[in-house]
Amino acid sequence: MLSYALRRILQMIPLLFVISLVIYGLTALQPGDPVDQMIFGNPHIRPEDVVRLREAYGADTPWFEKYWTWLTHAMRGDFGYSRDFSIPATQFIFQQRLPNTLLLTVPALILSTLIAIPLGIFSAVRQYSLPDYILTFLSFIASSAPVFWIGVMVLFLFAVWLPQATNGAISLPPGGLGSAGMDPSAGFAAFWGDRLKYMILPVMVLMLREISSTLRYMRASFLDVINQDFVRTARAKGLPNRSVIYKHALRNSLIPIVTILGLSIPGLFSGAVLTETVFSWPGIGRALLDSLVSKDFNVVMVCLMTLAFLTVIFQLITDLLYGLVDPRIRYN
Amino acid sequence: MKKIVALSAFLLGAALASPANNSLVIGTSQEPPNIMDPWVTNNLAISTEVNQWMGAGLTGRNNDGSLYADIATTVPTLANGLYKENKSGGKVVSNSLTYTIRPDAKWSDGTPITTADFEFWLKVELDERVPAPQRYPWDGAKITKKDDKTFTITFNPPYLFAQVAGAPGLAPSKQMAAGWAAFDSATKGMKPGEALNDQWTKFISQYTTSSNLPQVVAGPFKPTSWKPGNSLTLTRNTNYWRKPQGGESKYIQSVIYRFIPNTNTLKVNILSGQLDAVATVGLTFDQALDMQKRQGNKFTTFFAPGAVWEHIDVNTRGQRSKDLGLDDARVRQALLYSVDRAALVKAMFQGKQPVSNTFVNPLAPVYDKDVMAYGFDAAKAKSLFAAAGWKPGADGILEKNGKKMILNFSTTAGNAVRERVQQILQAQWKAVGVQVNIQNYPASVFFGPDMLSKGESGKWDLAMYAWSADPTLEGGDLFKSSAIPNAANGYSGQNNSGWSNAEYSKLQKQSETEFNAAARSKQFAQMQAIWAKELPSLPMYFRANPYTRVNDLVNYDMTAITQYPTWDAYRIGWASKGAVSAHTQK
Repeated sequence: MLSYALRRILQMIPLLFVISLVIYGLTALQPGDPVDQMIFGNPHIRPEDVVRLREAYGADTPWFEKYWTWLTHAMRGDFGYSRDFSIPATQFIFQQRLPNTLLLTVPALILSTLIAIPLGIFSAVRQYSLPDYILTFLSFIASSAPVFWIGVMVLFLFAVWLPQATNGAISLPPGGLGSAGMDPSAGFAAFWGDRLKYMILPVMVLMLREISSTLRYMRASFLDVINQDFVRTARAKGLPNRSVIYKHALRNSLIPIVTILGLSIPGLFSGAVLTETVFSWPGIGRALLDSLVSKDFNVVMVCLMTLAFLTVIFQLITDLLYGLVDPRIRYN
Repeated sequence: MKKIVALSAFLLGAALASPANNSLVIGTSQEPPNIMDPWVTNNLAISTEVNQWMGAGLTGRNNDGSLYADIATTVPTLANGLYKENKSGGKVVSNSLTYTIRPDAKWSDGTPITTADFEFWLKVELDERVPAPQRYPWDGAKITKKDDKTFTITFNPPYLFAQVAGAPGLAPSKQMAAGWAAFDSATKGMKPGEALNDQWTKFISQYTTSSNLPQVVAGPFKPTSWKPGNSLTLTRNTNYWRKPQGGESKYIQSVIYRFIPNTNTLKVNILSGQLDAVATVGLTFDQALDMQKRQGNKFTTFFAPGAVWEHIDVNTRGQRSKDLGLDDARVRQALLYSVDRAALVKAMFQGKQPVSNTFVNPLAPVYDKDVMAYGFDAAKAKSLFAAAGWKPGADGILEKNGKKMILNFSTTAGNAVRERVQQILQAQWKAVGVQVNIQNYPASVFFGPDMLSKGESGKWDLAMYAWSADPTLEGGDLFKSSAIPNAANGYSGQNNSGWSNAEYSKLQKQSETEFNAAARSKQFAQMQAIWAKELPSLPMYFRANPYTRVNDLVNYDMTAITQYPTWDAYRIGWASKGAVSAHTQK
């Protein structure tokens, strides 16, 4: 298994190299450059200014030359500055944005998994019962309703309608990271209490999606397992239902869920563009979208290369975990 | 259980108290990338709006365009002799402004503002290594120091708008000296390009970013905290010298900008009472109309006349343009006569965005109010098409020499207002026999290098977009022949319709050096008459800037000249706290 893991890790190096080339190339192929934006933002700009600015921003340098410069700097750990925010791209992503994203996505994934797995089992065990129909129906609604709509509705409900209806007794903030002026110097409890208040709605909206999809997978996987021979045998030898479900069926039905959860971990780092945008949450999803639109190359590269790295790493971890949960799989 | 109930009550309790005392919370949909960059290398509207709280200039302009002294003791004028025009052979060959800095003008740390701060600003602005977006008119400027508090700036060649916009900027030379020296030595002999630009970013980011707030500012407020992606807090700078009526304690003491990228969420924030005002970079026009309907007694949504001119460029270049008759002024006139712009702005904007007749803003001193106006007249449009040889075919579409008048009409995809305007115009043009196919592109493509500037290759026929410019600095540059983008000028000109008119260009050139206001207005009247007759662009309307604020807030207003409601920052305050209203939104 160790040699398999090492081989896979070595294969990652050329793979990440190719990914970086493709990402840089595709981003560079987008039309326009920062100077185009300046031309249309200023009717008084002169042709000589345009020529000077094109040189200054390296707008006419071929993309593969720029890529080579980026690569040689990146190998030395220098990922350049964010052109939009004038700070190092790594500082922008890893210090300013990623922690905020993890604050939303990690609790949302943990809570939704803890809720969805029992609900999925419940739904499968009571297949075609009224509660099963209700859960199935609700999960379809949650996965098909657009996040930007649900988000705004939830905001309106908790930040406008309920405060008015209850005279302020129930009220949640309409988006943002925290109250203005609130910082850790206010004390641990005050700071995190405030932060928690702002987290409730976006985490709730993220969880709706997560719960609906994990519930559907869990239900399908569990139904698959409980109709197999070994479960029938367990029942036939007189084991109590609880024991059949939790000892025999559950462990086997979790194999596909491990895959899904393993692959959703890089997603924790990619953020949730729509949820972050609707709830004014400055996370990595919004940063990636904004940097793509404004062609802030260094930020795009840091974001996407981090995601690429995490994806291949967690793919490997998931593959190795298979060996642990499924005795039929051996890496020789 | 009790603990759970108590925690829930805490979490679900009132999210935020309303702004306490003399604070002000403003929402905006965009976060400035950086603030107080003296050389404005990142010139976004939101940066300008936010910077006005913290910035000061030698002179400033109020809502009606008249100048007031800020850092300077007096506004230089011809009458007081501080503004001079040096003539040779009857022509102005250079002009100059002399400023004296107020003795009490200080940076926020208490160090005096001196001539050196203006000299340093000009030196950096003109340094070849600095990516300043626009060098003109500073590339012809020179500062002559009289003493620490008095200097003269001379423009040679003369700068036409020197009296209005000739005051140089300033930068804290003492605070920036070490950083600049490091930049200077690190970039000696470096060629322009990304490596040099990175060095510039390294220099400027020491004074302008969320992790390195400006160390000193000159204006009435200073930055105290910037939480990236969330909020920016400014507090009153007691070292600022102009004091509002009744004392500054009666006016805003702290300002918090909240960054809310989704404009629907911004709306929810207003309705929930979390915001006192919304920046001009905030609500869309439609949302502002909706806000006006439901504002009640607490808020007012204003539609301030703007400096943004919405228009449709007609491509007059290339073989395709000839085939479609777009190089013929009669066809362009007919296209404008066919559309009912008055009804359009009434239906879509409740008349809040006035129809334009030329590219010149009515607030510009050179605007000609008698310029030809094209009212809706379908019959006249048809006769003009007929005169140009375009007759309806069997399917009702106009034809000439076997070619049908089928035009591609493009704008920025996803801009709901523009897309609705397109549909209305499409229907009206269809009624006179012109088939218009809508073909929109994302902004990055539409404003990219292969679209508007490449009219010659027939990339587009009609293109709807906007230009934004200070009306008092109107120079008529957009339509001069030398601004037609082509290979020779690296496709850098902005006359995208490709219209070339010798007489217009001659008058425009003359107006660049015409220092007599009356004579210049006369030249512009002729230019506007030519333009309105030729119609290289179909003028649509001047956009209004919507913004919302709580009724009690005073001196938070603007015009197309001041452009942002923060222009008079030191006097913004709550009437209920004793702030005195000096001006109101018209």
